[in-house]
Amino acid sequence: MRKYYASLLILLLIISYNVSAQSLEDMLNRKLEESSEPEYTIATFKTGRIINGHSIENPEQGDLLFLVSHRFGTLNTGFYNFFGLDNSSTRLGLAYGISDRFSVGFGRATYQKTWDGYLKYKILRQQSGGSGMPFTMSLVLAADINTLKPVDLEETYTLTNRMSYVSQLLIARKFGPKLSFQITPSYIHRNLVERRIDQNNIFAIGAGARFKISNRVSLNAEYYYLLPGQSANDYDNSFSIGFDIETGGHVFQLHLTNSQSIIERGFITETSGRWLDGDIRFGFNITRVFGLQRKSIK
Amino acid sequence: MAMKVSLFAVLMVIMSGYKQQENLFFTDSGHVEFSSDAPLEYIQASSNELAGILNINDLSFSFTVPMVSFQGFNSALQRTHFNENYIESEKFPNSTFNGKIIEEIDFASPGTYHIRAKGLLNVHGVDNDKIIRCTIQVETGRISVESSFKVPLDEHKIKIPSIVQQKIAEVIDVSIRFEMEPMNP
Repeated sequence: MRKYYASLLILLLIISYNVSAQSLEDMLNRKLEESSEPEYTIATFKTGRIINGHSIENPEQGDLLFLVSHRFGTLNTGFYNFFGLDNSSTRLGLAYGISDRFSVGFGRATYQKTWDGYLKYKILRQQSGGSGMPFTMSLVLAADINTLKPVDLEETYTLTNRMSYVSQLLIARKFGPKLSFQITPSYIHRNLVERRIDQNNIFAIGAGARFKISNRVSLNAEYYYLLPGQSANDYDNSFSIGFDIETGGHVFQLHLTNSQSIIERGFITETSGRWLDGDIRFGFNITRVFGLQRKSIK
Repeated sequence: MAMKVSLFAVLMVIMSGYKQQENLFFTDSGHVEFSSDAPLEYIQASSNELAGILNINDLSFSFTVPMVSFQGFNSALQRTHFNENYIESEKFPNSTFNGKIIEEIDFASPGTYHIRAKGLLNVHGVDNDKIIRCTIQVETGRISVESSFKVPLDEHKIKIPSIVQQKIAEVIDVSIRFEMEPMNP
């Protein structure tokens, strides 16, 4: 009997030794878990545009983004026109991060010689831990001015005649390191339209996705669906597909799209071109980020 | 008799647990700084979230730092790339160093000691044996540590694409400093 209890005691001592010598690392991790802060999801997309439309990404505080966009003619214009490359429509734009969540941008496009500007604010951020917010949501408020001289020189347009406004809610979620998805309900208001039957107010829903092929290359796709109305009858829904190639401070986006315009009012509500008819255009965006403000090291 | 023995055994277990806690020192606000000195670019970043436990009885330690806590860099985008493309912080959120101090130090006697910490450094999910020289200052109720060491990126399978080879150093200089206090159980 005594032998039995002696061996039990020895067994308990061995167990107690193992319990108290539990891994220092486990102890450290448990202690840190007590005071864990939320981790915000980063890099849902590689840059502030999925292809034509905005993504929830915006330049962080102090970063200046320079965006050059080209859209060419359609591939079905044949070899003589070098499959559309002879006909080019561009936009030059800048965006600046006032804070990590709030950025402003402006640009000028060839399409109708339009100047555009926008404010972008990240309302909700996807996070693991903390509140566990499952998606990132941003708001884009944009306005653009068409500065084309009127064809009929007797007609005059006021400044507000030439303006359109776009409001978009961007809702995106990163599903793991490779896949991200975004829904973009959009509202476009055009102050002056050509015909009485044309819509001043147009609603659309955009959807965009990106799939990371490697650390620096991703496959992107984007579609904007016009809700039923005169514009939906007259125009086509914008569909684009392309690659993002990121090289340090640059992101090169190479894609095929049926939209010629690079501004929201243009590619969402005024796209003329059907993929199945070959009205497909090659286009590219180049983004370059300049860090203007060195964050101080504590 | 059986009751006395098992009671004694239970007491031993409980007491060994308590005794353990008095010998642990802890920090959760240690400073880590690293720099990359390459021909075309100099990059520097730091974190104040180095956490660790030191057992002054058996000289073992465990340290961890969350990679997303590093700030500095030459632009916010560079910091995003650091986490997304190089460290892959979603897969490997922390860098850790676990091991033992080689020299037998008596932490009861205050003074300055130069020691070598030997252990496994884990960065980007890859373990590497490392001996890190540190300067420890022991005072009653506080242990201060300072150290500098180098981390070659390929030892931890962190790839530098050829396009940025002139902008990122192959060996990163790291320096740390922190103060530890007895850990509250």
